Amino acid sequence: MDDLYLENIDEFVNDQNKIVTYKWLSLTLGVHVNQAKQMLYHYLEQKRKESSGTRLHATYLVSGKFTQNGNTCHKVAVVREDQLEGLKSKMIVTASIHVYSIQKVVLKDSGPLFNTDYDAIKENLNICSKYSAIRCASAVPRSSAEISRLQEIAQGTPPASEGQQAASKLSMNGHSPSALKPATQQPKGIMGMFASKAASKHHETSKEVKTEAKEDSVAAEASNSKPTSKGSALSNFFGKTATRKTKPSPQTAEVVIKEEEASSAASPASKEEDEPSSSSAAKQVPAIKEEKPKTSEAAPKKRKDSKTKAKRLERSDSEDDKSESQQKKRRRIKKPQPDSSDDEIIPDSPPARDVKTPSPPPEAEVKKERATHTEDAGGIKRRKRRKVLKSKTSLDDEGCIVTEKVYESESYSDSEGDFVKSNKQQLSKQPATLRATGGKKVEDKKSQKKSSANKGTKQASIMGFFQKK
Amino acid sequence: MRQSSPSKKMTRLPQKIRDRRCAEKKIPVLLHVNTSIFTSHAITLVSSMTTLTRQDLNFGQVVADILCEFLEVAIHLILYVREVYPSGIFQKRKKYSVPVQMSCHPELNQYIQDTLHCIKPLIVKNDAEKIVVVIMDKEHHPVERFVFEMSQPPLVSISSDILLSHVEQLLRAFILKISVCDAVLDNNPPGCTFTVLVHTREAATRNMEKIQVIKDFPWIVADEQEVHMREPRLIPLKTMTSDIVKMQLYVEERAQKAS
Repeated sequence: MDDLYLENIDEFVNDQNKIVTYKWLSLTLGVHVNQAKQMLYHYLEQKRKESSGTRLHATYLVSGKFTQNGNTCHKVAVVREDQLEGLKSKMIVTASIHVYSIQKVVLKDSGPLFNTDYDAIKENLNICSKYSAIRCASAVPRSSAEISRLQEIAQGTPPASEGQQAASKLSMNGHSPSALKPATQQPKGIMGMFASKAASKHHETSKEVKTEAKEDSVAAEASNSKPTSKGSALSNFFGKTATRKTKPSPQTAEVVIKEEEASSAASPASKEEDEPSSSSAAKQVPAIKEEKPKTSEAAPKKRKDSKTKAKRLERSDSEDDKSESQQKKRRRIKKPQPDSSDDEIIPDSPPARDVKTPSPPPEAEVKKERATHTEDAGGIKRRKRRKVLKSKTSLDDEGCIVTEKVYESESYSDSEGDFVKSNKQQLSKQPATLRATGGKKVEDKKSQKKSSANKGTKQASIMGFFQKK
Repeated sequence: MRQSSPSKKMTRLPQKIRDRRCAEKKIPVLLHVNTSIFTSHAITLVSSMTTLTRQDLNFGQVVADILCEFLEVAIHLILYVREVYPSGIFQKRKKYSVPVQMSCHPELNQYIQDTLHCIKPLIVKNDAEKIVVVIMDKEHHPVERFVFEMSQPPLVSISSDILLSHVEQLLRAFILKISVCDAVLDNNPPGCTFTVLVHTREAATRNMEKIQVIKDFPWIVADEQEVHMREPRLIPLKTMTSDIVKMQLYVEERAQKAS
């Protein structure tokens, strides 16, 4: 082949800043896919030798034999160049490696790769397999009569069976689901579980029981494979988006899966299709069914529990989930409030405080608690000293009678509380200057609290800030 | 970190509208076509060969919906690609038949949705000339500006069937271009935040009260400092022309980003 293609690829990659996948290239230039792969390889070699100009990045498709959790499977993965060696070393047998795409940009996720191919294939839908290396003699387009017949049948079956079929296919193909798409399988497993739960209520056939059990174990394995698949390069490539995808999603999913794991731990990891397992599957089913109503009911509760648990566990991973950390903050701030209301000895925060006060209900609660607290503190009669505003008349220097309102300390006990309250309503407000003199501080504060319950002192102590939250 | 709390931004009136006195530009005229023939139609775009006209009340709405959906996806993608927020908050979702990264953070999502909700009436009337996503560094100097210039041609009627799949394809191309824009842009300094500016055509600010459609989400006129950049470099990304909208996306980048 002539070298014109090198210039073409150069133009695509450098000038147009495109992502050149081998599939796209084969459709664009009209060459067989294998030829396209070779073209990309040659181009890459040439550019690397030149080692000038902009740096190019490539992704590779690696396929081969791979063991995971003791299961061997044939793994096909698209990896970035920096992860290539890592994956190759982990594979037992590497069947094939070829260049998947070349682009200028460092790809953060696989979305653009799909995007590139999508339009190319869509435009060339009739010839999309013309250059392909995959051949199947019996793969011919259906006739329209067949299509209409199938459509009628498809409308008859419930849509929920789709999830089951997908899950059953997964278990048939592999022993463990391939790590290629751990993220997509997990939601499928979960949605399949919920879908099959609804379906099983209606149908309750043995077949669906089986698939349900399969799904559970599949989902369990999916969750198993997820944390362990961190070793695989693919999950590194998708890894950040895949693993983090599950975290923001409600953590009931993880809780439910963990429960299912526990229940289906006895079931063999592979070979669900075997007949003997149907009995164990049948045993599992009542357990699973029981758990499901529980989980669905307890789901809202568990969401909270699991979230608080997860928060304690993940406190160190502060980067991971902002919404979580914000909820953390909210929870922390709210919690001290009911605690502090019992211990407080401070005046009620005045209503004249700034706008950042929380919702009224907690405020009302706090006030009520305080009110009851003052009355409940008795049972035991305590004598306390408090300051009372009294008017004193006295003779002035010039012989005038002067009436002063002065705070005087006075001892009283709780039983006189009511009487005291009514008294204090007539008092004018001069707490600031006179409070410092005499009396015991604790009692002052208590009395102050009482008085302010009625008149609402403006002066707030520093504790008022915390109690409001 | 500022970018972790978009809610704070909201109370400090972050969004701005820049009123452009663009006397030199023609104000696109909405064609008041005095046709006596009104096409009667149920506005279901699923049915084939439904023709929509400008007199149709929903036409502007439909176009605005399409554009606002696209802008939402585009803004999320820009935040992901330019690493304004850590990639952990993003989740793969599907739009226009391709995977896109959307944020899961509720406050951020709400902020973007509210922003676009306010912009939508401007788009309906074709008053929005440019929608700009500005990425600013810690000192609030713009570092990058993703400019979506759009204009709706004075169109009489179109067939919706082919139109939407064509528009979808064009928008997909935009998404792809945003995904690879990293290659042509320098890295941003850490600690960046973003905001959205709208450049309107002349008459729009007279209806500013109508723009305040969401309570507690006020819009104010932008400062010069946030609108203009020192030494901008222009990098065009994508242009599209379709029956319902002409859109151009380019990036203005500051020559020296690390200040």
